[in-house]
Amino acid sequence: MLGGSSRDARRTERYLDGLMDAEERGATEAPMDLDLDPAVLYAARELRAGLVRVHPSFRFEEGLAARLAQAAGAAPGTPSEQPAQVFGSSIAPFRSPRATAPAGPAARSGRTTARDALATLAAPRRLSLTSRPSRPLVVGGVGVASAAISIGAVYVAWRWSRASQTPMVRAARAARFGRAYAPGHGRRAAVLHGIIGVMS
Amino acid sequence: MFSNTEARVKPARLDRDRGLVDAARRDPACFDALYRKYLAQVYSYAFYELRDHHAAEDATERVFMQALTGLPRFEERADSFADARGAAKVSGEIPADASTFRIWLFRIARNVVANERRRDRRRPVASLEHATGLAAADDTFETAAAREAGSAAWQAVARLPEDRRRAVVLRFVDEMSTAEIAEVMGRSEGAIRVLLHRALRSVAADLRARLG
Repeated sequence: MLGGSSRDARRTERYLDGLMDAEERGATEAPMDLDLDPAVLYAARELRAGLVRVHPSFRFEEGLAARLAQAAGAAPGTPSEQPAQVFGSSIAPFRSPRATAPAGPAARSGRTTARDALATLAAPRRLSLTSRPSRPLVVGGVGVASAAISIGAVYVAWRWSRASQTPMVRAARAARFGRAYAPGHGRRAAVLHGIIGVMS
Repeated sequence: MFSNTEARVKPARLDRDRGLVDAARRDPACFDALYRKYLAQVYSYAFYELRDHHAAEDATERVFMQALTGLPRFEERADSFADARGAAKVSGEIPADASTFRIWLFRIARNVVANERRRDRRRPVASLEHATGLAAADDTFETAAAREAGSAAWQAVARLPEDRRRAVVLRFVDEMSTAEIAEVMGRSEGAIRVLLHRALRSVAADLRARLG
């Protein structure tokens, strides 16, 4: 024989089951139990609506997945071997012998397991801290900026060294050359030198 | 025509995660599927228990690490699960969604969270509100926590005694049946039923007092 408290508890349980089922089915109306305490009904609906399932951040989820894969022996690298972030750009590793090596016994036999698939996916993105040739190439950010500066300097030097095809430009450059390299001849001599240069 | 004996024999109800568990045992890399399936549930449980984003992440990590390393020792206990439920076995109400792996996982979570709480008692850190304030802007947690913090329901649940709050979280957040909660918490089904019923009455009284 059930006591009053147990009977109410069973009724509450049935109501909660119905409430969850209705939601799972996508029913628009919540089940009703007129014999159940209205306060319990109210609290159940409030809790159902208010207590949401919380999902961790994507960063945490993927980080833990990597650590679990490592613990499972699927990923031979360490979390610190993930590509480092440098001012918003990423470091792309040179291909190391490890990355080009066969994935494992399954790959040799032509059968791909989830372990091999994980290792294959992880390998190109991983920096090897143990193998020597992993001098990183910085893509984007500082690397691109310094390369652009170098190219600009080379272009300016090339432009200055290249003779122009226009006579006026050649005359102007000759006059400038005269001022710069023949200061002792005076202004007139320099202009004359420039004209001769143009004529020639 | 079935004999009486045959009619009474019920097909063994297997763990719904059996395939995933078997695959993970054969190849630990396949544990990823179980991890993705239960991550939000375990994290939610830890978050509602510890009320701190970072503590919940630490606890979640420990739970899955322990589950991964302990998987070879995990035994599917469909029969013992039904036996432990006593009355439900008699009435044949074995829930279709029962998973002994999930129960096993949440038992680990319960132990990990209990250890975390003991550690926090010795070395108290931040409250839920403080953690919410410090959360990164791109965290899903922040949105959810802000919504929850404002929720009168959550406030009422937070004031419940520990065992009632745990039962409510397992019931409403992790959508466990009474039998599963009983297994996770190591109590009888009847005790869990009464716990939930009393928890709902407390929450109702709290909400009524708050809303006038």
